[in-house]
Amino acid sequence: MVVLREGMCPGLDEDLLRDLRAADIKTVEDLVSSDIEGLAQKCSVSYKALFAIRRVLLAQHTAFPVSGADLYEELLSSTAILSTGNPSLDKLLDSGLYTGEITELSGGPGSGKSQVCFGVAVHISYQLKQSVIYIDTTGGLAASRLLQMLQAETSNTEEQMEALQRIHVFRLFDVYALLDCLYSLRSGGLQQASVGGGSVKAVIVDSVSAVISPLLGGKQNEGMSLMIQVAGALKTMAKDFNVAALVTNHVTRSGSGEVQPGLGVSWSHIPRTRILLERVEKAAAVSQPSLRSAKLIKSSRQPCHIKEEFDLQWWSRSEKGSSGKRKLGETDS
Amino acid sequence: MKSDPGRKRAHTIVTSTIARHVTVCASCQLLARLEARRCLKDIEPRLFPEDRGPDQGAVVELFGLEGTGKTELLYHLLCRCVLPEAAGGLEVDVVFVDTDYSLDMLHLVSILDSKLTLLAGADEAALRSCLSRLLFVHCYSSSQLLLTLHFLETTLSSRPALALILIDSISAFYWVDRCEGGASYTKQEEKLSRCAELLGRLLRDYRITVFATCHAIRRPGVPSSSSDSERSYLCRSWQRLVTHRLLCSRQEPGNNMAAEGGHDQEQRRQQIFTVHCTTFSSRVKVSWSSFFCVTEAGFSE
Repeated sequence: MVVLREGMCPGLDEDLLRDLRAADIKTVEDLVSSDIEGLAQKCSVSYKALFAIRRVLLAQHTAFPVSGADLYEELLSSTAILSTGNPSLDKLLDSGLYTGEITELSGGPGSGKSQVCFGVAVHISYQLKQSVIYIDTTGGLAASRLLQMLQAETSNTEEQMEALQRIHVFRLFDVYALLDCLYSLRSGGLQQASVGGGSVKAVIVDSVSAVISPLLGGKQNEGMSLMIQVAGALKTMAKDFNVAALVTNHVTRSGSGEVQPGLGVSWSHIPRTRILLERVEKAAAVSQPSLRSAKLIKSSRQPCHIKEEFDLQWWSRSEKGSSGKRKLGETDS
Repeated sequence: MKSDPGRKRAHTIVTSTIARHVTVCASCQLLARLEARRCLKDIEPRLFPEDRGPDQGAVVELFGLEGTGKTELLYHLLCRCVLPEAAGGLEVDVVFVDTDYSLDMLHLVSILDSKLTLLAGADEAALRSCLSRLLFVHCYSSSQLLLTLHFLETTLSSRPALALILIDSISAFYWVDRCEGGASYTKQEEKLSRCAELLGRLLRDYRITVFATCHAIRRPGVPSSSSDSERSYLCRSWQRLVTHRLLCSRQEPGNNMAAEGGHDQEQRRQQIFTVHCTTFSSRVKVSWSSFFCVTEAGFSE
């Protein structure tokens, strides 16, 4: 709802505003929806002037249609796919994280969501040399772990420091701080973070359910509304700045007892791709406690329910490759 | 009060000039409205058998949970509209109103491509001409949706080939509006009601068709009592507009998976989607079901 103020457009002066308010027209939507002829007579202003004001206000506040061909051209030139650094995950995600979309990783405690996020952040900042924004809402991020992963990639301290500098960390613990952070990133924060390194290509929120699920439930609608606002802010940022958004979510049990991602049905429409992480429960896995299985539960590009197994240690394997912990993918892509 | 005689005289002169201008404008608009827009009854004979398809002025709502094929179905119908007649399309212009940044353009183009390759002599230019029939607009709030629909009225007048408005999705602002409206249901539903009323007027005046997706917000608790989750939760003005309601659901894949590190082939089962259509036209409620599955080339029976 945009309230009418004087000076919003030429011709909208204080007298006219007063007359309009007397005729119960307080917002731009009211003005645009009302009958201009009748209104012009009521406020004793010329029809032409009011019509012109309506047209200017409509042009200022409406969304302009874009031709599909132009949109496609723009998307072709700006969409990028970021590899996660792990070939199994990349296979599941159809070669990686797509910019302009939200990808969700859900899993129970200890299923490796944060480790995957660290791995992705390190891969993007070291291998792809781009900046990453990491929003940590659980307090689980430790720079020492990131350094450990980087030390497995290179032993050059200069390069390690550079890569660490490209990861920008924000620690917040409630949803209003999250919204604040996202809005400030949209209005200039992303450009600032891009200075001195590659441009920001990924925004990782670990985890989005930690700040939202305490607000859900009960009769209040505010929790749902805030959740949708967070989703809107993330999507707009992903689209406008061509970044890939990766969020993590917890899991709950459905009525029939199977594990499903949390935050409910209304959130399920928001991410474009969803992956469920689980520990691998089989005898062979006892010797490899870092083995995890990832199942694709929502995707517009791949058939659903395909599973891949991968090793959480992939991101901290050393180049010398001993210790036999590399379970998959002989090819190093 | 600014009513001095000089001003009044000027006012009347200007008004009469404007009145003539307005009559000219009104007659252009009238012509634009009377000109027949393409009827979309035959848009998908597998989904809408015989003459139960969406006529001019129809509103089709696709309702369902996540992953039930609504978007796939919507893209399929969209492709059918923009493709040239030689490729089996209707060659109409379409406005796509996107409310939650969910348009997957690359996916849409891949479906269009797969249909165009069947057409001899199809190339980049054919794809471009299909895409140029699509007008895309994004709204971030229900207020902006209302203003955009007002703006679209001028687009409708100037493009007689425009026969379809696609809204994906109409329920995107539901929670935000509910919270902003406070305790009163009327205030909560006010914005969407105004959009629905405006859409109703555009439907009557310009004889277009509207397809809209609506996300379900409740999961069915027990499979047999699913009626609660299928009920429309949007405002009454919108429910009155809807003439065809398509309930999309997904048949649960059987649990026949030996969890044996099986890759690709075994796990790529055919996902079957069900669409249950109900139409309220001509005061008789008619319903039927169709089944489809998604393949590489879009969807098929």
